[in-house]
Amino acid sequence: MLRNVSAALVLAASIATSVPLWSHHAFQAEFDDKKPVHLVGKVTKMEWINPHAWIHIDVAEPDGKVTSWMVECGSPNIMLRRGFTKESLEFGSEIVVEGYRAKNGSNRANGSSVTFKDGRRLFVGGSNPDIPAELRQ
Amino acid sequence: MIHRFSLLLGAFALVITLAVPVVAQTPKNWVPPKTPWGDPDLQGIWPGNMGVPMQRPQNLGERTTLTDEEFAQRVAQAKRQAEADSQSFASSDTRVGIGPPSYWTERGRPTRQTSLIIDPPNGRLPSLTPEAEKYRKEARGGKGLPGEWRGEADSYDDLNIYYRCITRGVLGSVIPVVYNNGNQIIQAPGYIVFRNEMIHEARVIPLDGRPHVDSKIKMFMGDSRGHWEGNTLVVETTNFTDKDAIGSNGAGYPGDPGYHSEQLKIVERFTPVSENKLEYQATVIDDKTWIRPWTILIELERSDNYQVLEYACHEGNYAMEDILSGARATEK
Repeated sequence: MLRNVSAALVLAASIATSVPLWSHHAFQAEFDDKKPVHLVGKVTKMEWINPHAWIHIDVAEPDGKVTSWMVECGSPNIMLRRGFTKESLEFGSEIVVEGYRAKNGSNRANGSSVTFKDGRRLFVGGSNPDIPAELRQ
Repeated sequence: MIHRFSLLLGAFALVITLAVPVVAQTPKNWVPPKTPWGDPDLQGIWPGNMGVPMQRPQNLGERTTLTDEEFAQRVAQAKRQAEADSQSFASSDTRVGIGPPSYWTERGRPTRQTSLIIDPPNGRLPSLTPEAEKYRKEARGGKGLPGEWRGEADSYDDLNIYYRCITRGVLGSVIPVVYNNGNQIIQAPGYIVFRNEMIHEARVIPLDGRPHVDSKIKMFMGDSRGHWEGNTLVVETTNFTDKDAIGSNGAGYPGDPGYHSEQLKIVERFTPVSENKLEYQATVIDDKTWIRPWTILIELERSDNYQVLEYACHEGNYAMEDILSGARATEK
């Protein structure tokens, strides 16, 4: 019986992988997995809005030009419940963002991870090892 | 500060790990407290738990609960997931993809319940009627009914109304999903309010026996009327539009987005079974869509620490703009 359960889970997992139904909005619809971004910038604003919070940062280009980027986060409710507070990310903090750029080419990105200059990392993305496939929703 | 954040994450993981559900301890003949005006008092915060799948894996047949071994496996999976969620760095063999970061989601607490659907006895959705199959196929000139993003976004109309921050409907708002599963019950003489967190719904339900509104009036959330049967609150909802789906987010209802007809009737039963447990049952009756009625059971547990936060979704919905403009950019 358990073997059958496992087989069913593996099968369902492979289906779930090909049709990601994860969140309020499909990431693949908004962001381009062929366009990873690495941004180093200073926090200018945090938007605590549903369905997703956004971190705003100013990124200094090598030529000195400053461009503003928006980085998508989880919903404010779950961020609060997981311990992320208004003070977690202070105005002016320098952060490094790994993520994926918006398909429309704008300066928006989905944040996979946010790291402080000293190496402390705020959160990481994409590690969903083995949640039962039937619960992937 | 960040250290504190990590600690909190760790604590969260620990709570998840340790929160192995105790076997339901339902005192016999438990009588709920009464409101000052004499109704059973169900007031409180009752968050959903996304640890139970909507449909039962077929190989479990008519079994409604997991065996000890299966349950232990699920608990172990939850523990591994909690550990992964609380890691500071992804392990080298983890595929860091474009999906949402793991810290975004509520994992739920494993329980022994094998599926939310308890009737039909196999725990699975009944078949669609031929009429409903045809409707799904032919809708929107053969494009089908809007659901999750499927690679195209010619118009906002290609995406369901959950994407558009409009509503998740009566049942979709209660079926536990990835996050924001808070529910709240507030009572007043002659009324009960059932409030759901994500997208933000608050149904104000009269209990005075008044008739439903005119049958020509159709609404996303329908028209609800409630009454007491002993300590059970029974709510019947009619007057639905056919523009919404049960689990319209595609979540909780894998595959088919759960569109129903205007004939839909939902009968909800809220039964307090102990101080901290409320059984929520909902029967879906729509013989134009499904060949027979079906019923889900969600065991809600009181959590007075849980805060149901406002969900002003539409105002912050950058996603629709990004999805549509992203689709235009991809076409070039």
